[in-house]
Amino acid sequence: MSSVEAATRLLRGHARATREIVTPEGVTLTVELAEYGERATAFMIDLFFWFCGSLLLFLTFMILVLRGWVSIFAVSILLFISFIIRNFYFIHFELAWRGMTPGKRIVGIRVIDRQGGPLLPSAIVARNFTREIEMFIPLGILLSAGGAGAAIPWERLMLAAWLLSFVVLVFVNRDRMRAGDLIAGTIVIALPRQRLLDDLVERQASFVFSDRQLRAYGTFELQVLEDLLRRPDAPGVALILGEVCSKICRKIDWREPVAEGDRLRFLRDFYTAQRAFLEREQLFGRKRADKHDSPGDARP
Amino acid sequence: MSVEALRERDPRLSEPPLAEPPEAGITLKSSEFRRTREAGWRDLERLIDAAEKRGIRALAPDDLQRLPLLYRAALSSLSVARAIALDRNLLLYLENLSLRAFFVVYGPRSALLAGCTQFLRTEFPAAVRGARLHLLLAAVAMAVGVGVGFALTVRDEAWFSTLVPAPLAGGRGPESTRATLLAQEIFAPWPGFAMALGIMANFLFSHNTVVGILMFSFGLAAGVPTILLLAYQGLMVGAFVALHYNRDLTVDFLGWIAIHGVTEIGAILLCGAGGLVLADKMLFPDRYSRVDSLARHGRRAAEIALGAVLMFFLAAILEGVFRQLINNTPGRFAVAAVTAIGWFLYFVRPFGARR
Repeated sequence: MSSVEAATRLLRGHARATREIVTPEGVTLTVELAEYGERATAFMIDLFFWFCGSLLLFLTFMILVLRGWVSIFAVSILLFISFIIRNFYFIHFELAWRGMTPGKRIVGIRVIDRQGGPLLPSAIVARNFTREIEMFIPLGILLSAGGAGAAIPWERLMLAAWLLSFVVLVFVNRDRMRAGDLIAGTIVIALPRQRLLDDLVERQASFVFSDRQLRAYGTFELQVLEDLLRRPDAPGVALILGEVCSKICRKIDWREPVAEGDRLRFLRDFYTAQRAFLEREQLFGRKRADKHDSPGDARP
Repeated sequence: MSVEALRERDPRLSEPPLAEPPEAGITLKSSEFRRTREAGWRDLERLIDAAEKRGIRALAPDDLQRLPLLYRAALSSLSVARAIALDRNLLLYLENLSLRAFFVVYGPRSALLAGCTQFLRTEFPAAVRGARLHLLLAAVAMAVGVGVGFALTVRDEAWFSTLVPAPLAGGRGPESTRATLLAQEIFAPWPGFAMALGIMANFLFSHNTVVGILMFSFGLAAGVPTILLLAYQGLMVGAFVALHYNRDLTVDFLGWIAIHGVTEIGAILLCGAGGLVLADKMLFPDRYSRVDSLARHGRRAAEIALGAVLMFFLAAILEGVFRQLINNTPGRFAVAAVTAIGWFLYFVRPFGARR
């Protein structure tokens, strides 16, 4: 079992937290929640774009119109322009790119409706508008107060607590929602692309296994073997393959020694036979989740 | 167009002929299943790739027509595969493909401009109409504040400095005389376009907008701070009215405040109502869980708050430009009446069709 565990860890890596949504057609789909780091990175990238955009616009504005009295109103106009840009930036991209902003797209995450329904424009507006309350306004006040240096300390402390409580909120709920997600009914998910690889099933088998031998394992072991066979060139896999091969031989009572060069072929043949057997059993209602499962068990 | 007609037009939709006859030897049901359906999946994947990269508009009309059919086919493949196949890569691929197709097929339909138009034309007024009772509660809280503030200050003007913080008082206070109030506040000279624009641009960070947004989000704290803030805003207004009442300037002051106040106080009340909606739906979730209840109604509440911020913007224009331009009380009341009627028509829609 320990080599199976090692193989699982090596091949499947860090598993993400998942949630299920039901499409209008009634099919349950599994989505993977985005990690905190991914969301923070996406936000930083967006913030950078927003900053560059508003700076550019502000500079043009300054050069074009406000030669004379820039100094008085520069700050408030900059704040105004940046407010418009940042809100329209997030709302525009999440509408046009179906829940993604440039930052989210680069990182590979997106916003979806928590129930699996369509992502409504009002939800996008709600979650982005709340961003103002959560972050930008308190941060703006805090920064401007820091600049002036004249603010009352407890006021600043309250603002910091306010900011902190919204940050904490993301960490204390199961679905990693910030306040905007809570109000809009959305979650942020990661959607890495999955490729369809070749079928591992062999058409012609050189090793033949009996049903008794194939009863040794279940679906889980089969899929670990599949993962191993799909990347025979990864570092460390050759060693694991050898170990797995001898383990299988011992378990299913395979007497003939398998030559080192034949190992891969043996394992592929075993995979094919095992999958054919398990799929047939499954069709007859005898699904077997793993090797500890006895066939016909009612497991969810 | 029926599926059959589409199939006739596009051979790719029909069951592909078996490319190669199954060889003698091992045949797995799941492998056969994959062999016959794979072309359709690859086709869908190509469409999704294009749609994700260049947007759904980049798809040809033919492709657009096939997209939902291919999506349904992929979903059905997924259901079948879950029942008969144990190939993990295949299952993950189909799930991933279905999910990506789902987001393209059921993605948001409207662009920024259309979304804004729809928001202003129907969603915002409808959301406000839906929050009538909360709006009424907010108005009552504020009215109580106005009454108490007036009653306190009219007898003892020391209350004015207690209730109104110094930056908001702007030099006005118990020591102000009728003449200074008239010259510096109510009929202050037009400061020039630059100054007016400055006030307008500054609207976002003005006291009222921040307070409005705070009121909305304090709804998450069961609405108690929302009510308190509303009452406090009322207290300040009451204190100002009392100060002018004592100097026999009530009517002029009301005109001075009403020209933008109808819009601005309306926006404050709306923010408060939005916060109260949040509090209501969180405290009394009906038959949903609190989180679900909040999600169901939170969008409406946020729409109200967003609309209110736009109203603050309009109020700032009225305050910064129109109040200085119209330098007499009847004119100001006229503008106030026009805005009041305008908001009534906009929100209540007594003539137009409601959604």
